Amino acid sequence: MSNPILAAQGLSVESLGGKERFPVLTDLNFTLQPGKILGLVGESGAGKSMIGRTISQYLPNGFAVTQGTLKFDGEDLVTMPAGRRRQLLGREIAFIPQEPLSGLNPVLSVGQQMKEHLLRIGLAPGEHWRERALKEFDAVHLPHGAGLLDKYPHQLSGGMCQRILIAMAFASRPRLLIADEPTTALDVTIQARIVKLIAEMQKRDGTAVIFITHDLRLASQISDEIMVLYAGRPAEIGPAKALFSAPAHPYTRCLQLANPTITGERRGLFILPERMPGLRVLKDLKGCRFASRCPNAVEACTLAEPPFASIGANHIAACIRPEATPDIVPPPAVAAREIEAGKMHLSGEKVTKAYTTNWSPFAKRGTFKAVSNVDFTLGEGEFVGIVGESGSGKSSLARLVVGLDTPTSGKISLAGRDVTANNAPDRAYRRDNIQMVFQDPQSALNPRRRIGSIVTQANEATGLNNSTRERMDRAAELLKEIGLPPDAASRFPSQLSGGQKQRVNIARALCTLPKILVADEIVSGLDVSVQAQLLDLLLKLRDEHGFSMLFISHDLSVVRYLCDRVLVMYRGEVVESGRTETVFAAPQHPYTRSLLAAVPPDDVMTEWSPVLAEAGYQID
Amino acid sequence: MRPIPLWLKSGRVQTGLVILFVLSCVAIFAPYLAPNDPNEQNLLSILTPPLWSAGADPMFPLGTDSLGRCILSRLIFGTRVALTVAFSAAIGAMVIGAILAHIAGYFGGWVDWLIGRVVEIWLSFPPVILSLILMVGLGTGLRNVVLAIILVDWTRFCRVLRSEVIVLRRRDYVAAAQLVGFSHWRTITREILPGTLPLLITLMSLEMGVAVIVEAVLSFVGMSVGSETPAWGQMIADARQNIYEAPFNLIAPIFAIFIAVFGFNILGDGLRRTLDTRLTQTERT
Repeated sequence: MSNPILAAQGLSVESLGGKERFPVLTDLNFTLQPGKILGLVGESGAGKSMIGRTISQYLPNGFAVTQGTLKFDGEDLVTMPAGRRRQLLGREIAFIPQEPLSGLNPVLSVGQQMKEHLLRIGLAPGEHWRERALKEFDAVHLPHGAGLLDKYPHQLSGGMCQRILIAMAFASRPRLLIADEPTTALDVTIQARIVKLIAEMQKRDGTAVIFITHDLRLASQISDEIMVLYAGRPAEIGPAKALFSAPAHPYTRCLQLANPTITGERRGLFILPERMPGLRVLKDLKGCRFASRCPNAVEACTLAEPPFASIGANHIAACIRPEATPDIVPPPAVAAREIEAGKMHLSGEKVTKAYTTNWSPFAKRGTFKAVSNVDFTLGEGEFVGIVGESGSGKSSLARLVVGLDTPTSGKISLAGRDVTANNAPDRAYRRDNIQMVFQDPQSALNPRRRIGSIVTQANEATGLNNSTRERMDRAAELLKEIGLPPDAASRFPSQLSGGQKQRVNIARALCTLPKILVADEIVSGLDVSVQAQLLDLLLKLRDEHGFSMLFISHDLSVVRYLCDRVLVMYRGEVVESGRTETVFAAPQHPYTRSLLAAVPPDDVMTEWSPVLAEAGYQID
Repeated sequence: MRPIPLWLKSGRVQTGLVILFVLSCVAIFAPYLAPNDPNEQNLLSILTPPLWSAGADPMFPLGTDSLGRCILSRLIFGTRVALTVAFSAAIGAMVIGAILAHIAGYFGGWVDWLIGRVVEIWLSFPPVILSLILMVGLGTGLRNVVLAIILVDWTRFCRVLRSEVIVLRRRDYVAAAQLVGFSHWRTITREILPGTLPLLITLMSLEMGVAVIVEAVLSFVGMSVGSETPAWGQMIADARQNIYEAPFNLIAPIFAIFIAVFGFNILGDGLRRTLDTRLTQTERT
């Protein structure tokens, strides 16, 4: 075996804020061989990104490496002089950031940034930076590279920006690449292309890659080896295929089962309770860090930190009873339900929305059809999923349905009433019958209101039951239903976690007990464990209140798990619709097929072959 | 007991508040603090030097001007004009600017276009000239000074606040408020205004400093309150002729203006640092 390109030995990072020290990464040991891909998987807060930051020695204030070594090709990155590290970073060690748009400087053109980077890493004698830039763009399949050089980042799509960043990262033929969630902000189809591209470039140059992601399925497809991190300590390290097909650590198994499947039998989701322990708790924790959430925990787990048990070749897991892990089984699937035809809560006929560009009496107004001729129905108690890439008109349709926008043409009827005009009585009618759960919990909750006041906003609007007492009582009821402690009512949104905020978001929509909920990407950007908790909550609430839901998502496996029927949207139009099983098992439209193919398969042995370009159906 | 709010812990805010508190006390209790009638002329003792110089008259601690009026008393009474103008002009400009900004930012479309163009046309006049023209038209007097400053400076509020309103308008919680049936009025006052309030308060305290200066400029050219009311700008104008014999007559009002403007600005700066969510958020991350 050759020398490893990156080797961590007993690496520990601690936060030294104030007098106390908190462990951030504990006793990390791993090696990465040249030309191999290491997948780093875990929930947010597990310390995945901290490893990338330790490599570049770009740690947040108050964080420091307190123990161990991190050797890049034999040189310790921690103790090496800053000058030497600067030489390595960007040349030998390259990075691909999570947010492609913020990875590029918005005020410089792509060409300027490319030139600066190429001049820094050095050009071959007699080579002009322009030719070289075009060559690099060619390698990442960016057509019309010459035109791109004069563009600014905001003029390009997220996928294109990410390609440019990949071109820049590979321009210096690095020996190590750190990709920190490079596809999280992108659509599935683009994610598939970007991941394939990174793999292709990696093969070309024989680069070793650290691929950080929260998606175990994706990591198992692309990586040679996977390290699952939990609360700053590896839970399991092993060859990707072996680890995914037979996880030895309960945490790996739970992560796998928390993610809904895309093929085969529908199964229930394993709900990991609570959250990962915070730094403060970790400090005084004696036993296994996962014990409090582990379904297999026994008393011995809480007494001492478990040593690594050898599972197979190069496969270790920090668990004292790895043989019990396969016993963790998912709960049974939610039974498919038959929806009575004729009892339609909501329907739309040829709904169209055209937007005019900025208002000004002098400028010529352009129009843009965000939604065009869409027909849909939603029955009583039915969950209908709307899938499609960003820009396909999913969110615009949601805004029309709830009445935030008025359709240009077409007809929307809600529980037997035509609400297309969206006038004052229509809006009042809508308020009692349909509510929306918003995508971004950060933006959906007013930071200056207390939770109790947010969830009972509807009372404030109607003036009914609007005394402080009545509102606090109603808030307590709602918080109980969504599974938050009653004292949350007096807190502000900033004091809650992302998943808790999303629960509050749901509670606000439920306050008037509407017949229909419209949920716009409510689980995207959340950890799989939190996602599973929320999906479970929605199903539980449906059983209690019997509402129906339009569920908008770009995540096909979530839609498959939750929804009875599905609409596939492409450029403002519905290209396919039908019962979820039927559509997912036998997609008719080529666009649906390419969407489905872009999702990494459930079975790690299945070859992942995303349809990279099917004629006429390609965004980006 | 409630914890002390973050903004009160800032040294800048505390400094500003102390200065303003002292100035306000001086203005309110002027008749009790001033040793002499500010308008009484003592032609027998003109241009007496301040106490610490030779030949000073203990009756006039800071000396007298060319008409024998007590400098200290005039400074003390001048505080009244300065602070009245500062508070009422800033509140007036804030009310007009904030209302229009919220309307423009919230409703958008042609309303926003119209208000935006009015602001732009307004801003294309040089502010000092515009206020001078207004004063010529309106005539002198405290109320007219305040009015002139309001009419010149509301645009500043409108511009800055409008962009903040637009940012908040696009937040999902505003859409959520509409969905549960909030009226426009309630949406603006309950969802948007709490978010713009920190900026509003900050802008207002800065505007007060500006108003003190504009009032001084106007009274310097005799276009502010009448000559019977002592004002700092007027004192500077009066002291011009005797700048070599009695430099302190000039220094005293300039120093007073400096202190007042410094107080408002440091308060505004402190509030901006502690209340402006954009700043506090970036500092925290």
